[in-house]
Amino acid sequence: MANKHVNAIVVGAGAGGGIVAKELATNGITVVLFERGDWPNYDEHPNDELISQRTEVLGSPFGPDHIKNPRVVTYKGGGKQIVTPIRGGYNNNAACVGSGTVSYGAMAWRFMAEDFKLKTVYGSVEGSTMDDWPVTYEELEPYYEKAEWEIGVSGDDTQNPFAPPRKKKQPMPPFEYNQEAKVLYEASKKLGMHPFPIPMLRNSIPYNNRAGCIRNRTCCGFACPVDAKNGTQNTVIPIAIQSGNCELRTGSKVVEIMIDDHGKATGVKYFDQNDKPQIQTADLVVVSGAAIETARLLLNSKSKLFPNGAGNNSDWVGRNLQGHAYTGAYGLFDYDILDFSGPGATVAWCDFNHHNPGIIGGGLLANEFNRLPYLYTNIRPPESARWGKEHKEFQRSMYHRTAQVVGPIQELPMFDSRVTVDPEVKDFWGIPVASMSGERHHLDHEHCKFLSAKAEAILKEAGAYQTWQSVGGQGGPSGGQHQSGTARMGNDKQTSVVNKYGQVHEIDNLFVADGSVMVNGGGFNPALTIMALGFYIGGHIAQNFSGTKFK
Amino acid sequence: MTKLNRRDFIRSAGLTFGSVFFFPSCLKQTSAYRFFSPEEALCIIAVSEQIIPKDESPGATDAGVIHYIDRQLSGIFYYDQETYRNGIKNLQANSMKKHSKLFEALPFDEQTQLLLKLEANQLNETEWPQGKPSDFFNLVRGHTMQGFYGSPIHGGNKNFMSFEMLKIDYPLVIGQNRYRS
Repeated sequence: MANKHVNAIVVGAGAGGGIVAKELATNGITVVLFERGDWPNYDEHPNDELISQRTEVLGSPFGPDHIKNPRVVTYKGGGKQIVTPIRGGYNNNAACVGSGTVSYGAMAWRFMAEDFKLKTVYGSVEGSTMDDWPVTYEELEPYYEKAEWEIGVSGDDTQNPFAPPRKKKQPMPPFEYNQEAKVLYEASKKLGMHPFPIPMLRNSIPYNNRAGCIRNRTCCGFACPVDAKNGTQNTVIPIAIQSGNCELRTGSKVVEIMIDDHGKATGVKYFDQNDKPQIQTADLVVVSGAAIETARLLLNSKSKLFPNGAGNNSDWVGRNLQGHAYTGAYGLFDYDILDFSGPGATVAWCDFNHHNPGIIGGGLLANEFNRLPYLYTNIRPPESARWGKEHKEFQRSMYHRTAQVVGPIQELPMFDSRVTVDPEVKDFWGIPVASMSGERHHLDHEHCKFLSAKAEAILKEAGAYQTWQSVGGQGGPSGGQHQSGTARMGNDKQTSVVNKYGQVHEIDNLFVADGSVMVNGGGFNPALTIMALGFYIGGHIAQNFSGTKFK
Repeated sequence: MTKLNRRDFIRSAGLTFGSVFFFPSCLKQTSAYRFFSPEEALCIIAVSEQIIPKDESPGATDAGVIHYIDRQLSGIFYYDQETYRNGIKNLQANSMKKHSKLFEALPFDEQTQLLLKLEANQLNETEWPQGKPSDFFNLVRGHTMQGFYGSPIHGGNKNFMSFEMLKIDYPLVIGQNRYRS
């Protein structure tokens, strides 16, 4: 039996798609929300480091299936390699209702005004496609506010002198500093820096009819056992469903957007939860699959007017794939500096986002989420034993005594860092898979050196008897959980994929609402910005739907 | 009604339903391992004990790391089977050639010296015909760390031994501390 025609299809129930579905459904627009994974489950892998989004050694608790969903990665100078979520280079995010917002660390950053106009602030950078966004911080500010209140954020931006202007405070008070943060806070003050509590998409107090955080040791990489971490799966998606206008279809793999001969989207082809091919038609389609899968879906959607994939007539779909090189430093202390209260990361600095001479963009610094035992086996000062008695002794004696300050660097977008579809490798359903290739900009590593030196300075001042840097930003392709950039928004259809409302150039009823549209990834974790974009794009569609239905 | 004592019941149940008659494979001597032969297991036990040796806290052998590796190799790490098979063969050949003993029979320090050579790729293609010795060593190193420091549900870290060594509460919720007796 054919599926009933609906107003809108949203592909992907993550940070962007979950919010768009809610914005549409609560405004009377009928929606089918597709999710290839299922509802997440805390009880399957509680506190299991090897099956967490932190390591994915033995699998990924929040998807996707590691056998059915290969990808291809091409490294510089090397041949192509088929990768799975449990093997390096896959750049996995998640595949479940809520996606990355189930298991993320949940930092709730607003990008700064400068992040939306890098080209104006810094000028052109050779070798990079760095540019201004077609939207400004001021335009997105109300949507950041919506994200903070509807999803739920704890924080106090008044303590951060570099925070962009806001109209309304964050809805919950900030988390208290853990022991490591208290020490680092004092030290950085002495250095003239400006520490403040990290804003978090997590309940510091009961909020939205759910519990407050219990300081679970394993937080980042895991689902919350008391549901105190706020994602789309426990906020907007239930609201969308309760509206009666949204059907969530889990286990459904959308493989193609159907585009007719007039260049209009008519619906999608997908495999249902029994792997049967199905068709769903709609007035409009919103793609929210995260940067890699969104690009793959657009590229796999070939039609008469768009023979190289939907919205790809100027060859920009899949370009500018970026993520975050993490960079920072470690310090060893002669007392137990860690108290292991969850989530671990509590203090941050924005002193190094923008306006540092010679640095384009920069990045935030924060103390790190709780180190897990297996991950800690690879954290050692240079020249240390990698195994044997000395390695074990270090593990035992220093596990509670190692502080880490780390942050994501603003990566410079690269035209040749990209997602394509592989001509040969197919997934379980016979669909060509995403292939990733390209290198980071050489300046990324230089910027990482700058940020790592600052991190090390804080640790030294805090009394660490030994410190060392871990400097990121080399190699590629980048992506990871912070993947973005592959369906860039812009005013010029020759150098972007969507317009400032996420609408694909030349296909009026096809939208993208996720990290793909971001022109750059900022020096911040991107979740709150993706959510703000979801409210902004979803709101635009809802407001304008009743007129033309974008046809 | 006849009364059956327990022994009689088991005997008659065996005659009636006894799997021993219908499933002869149950009579075969069973191995403790899924993937490894008992000889291969002895070698990997010795290698993993080198990576995490027993001191005042338990080592890899005590924690059952071999069972973690064995279980994963017959499952999700199937693609590493060949590296293990060849690696064990090559390691034993080198041990026999130099010391006329199997690796697990060498004194602890001699084992260490040999593994350092593997790690640094100081064996040529004749001595190590398949792949690089460091690939094999790093694989076993990583798997040993996972088995020892990961969750016990995957076969290693018996009785949360490493969590106890690291003084981390299990199940990692503040206020609970279940592993200590």
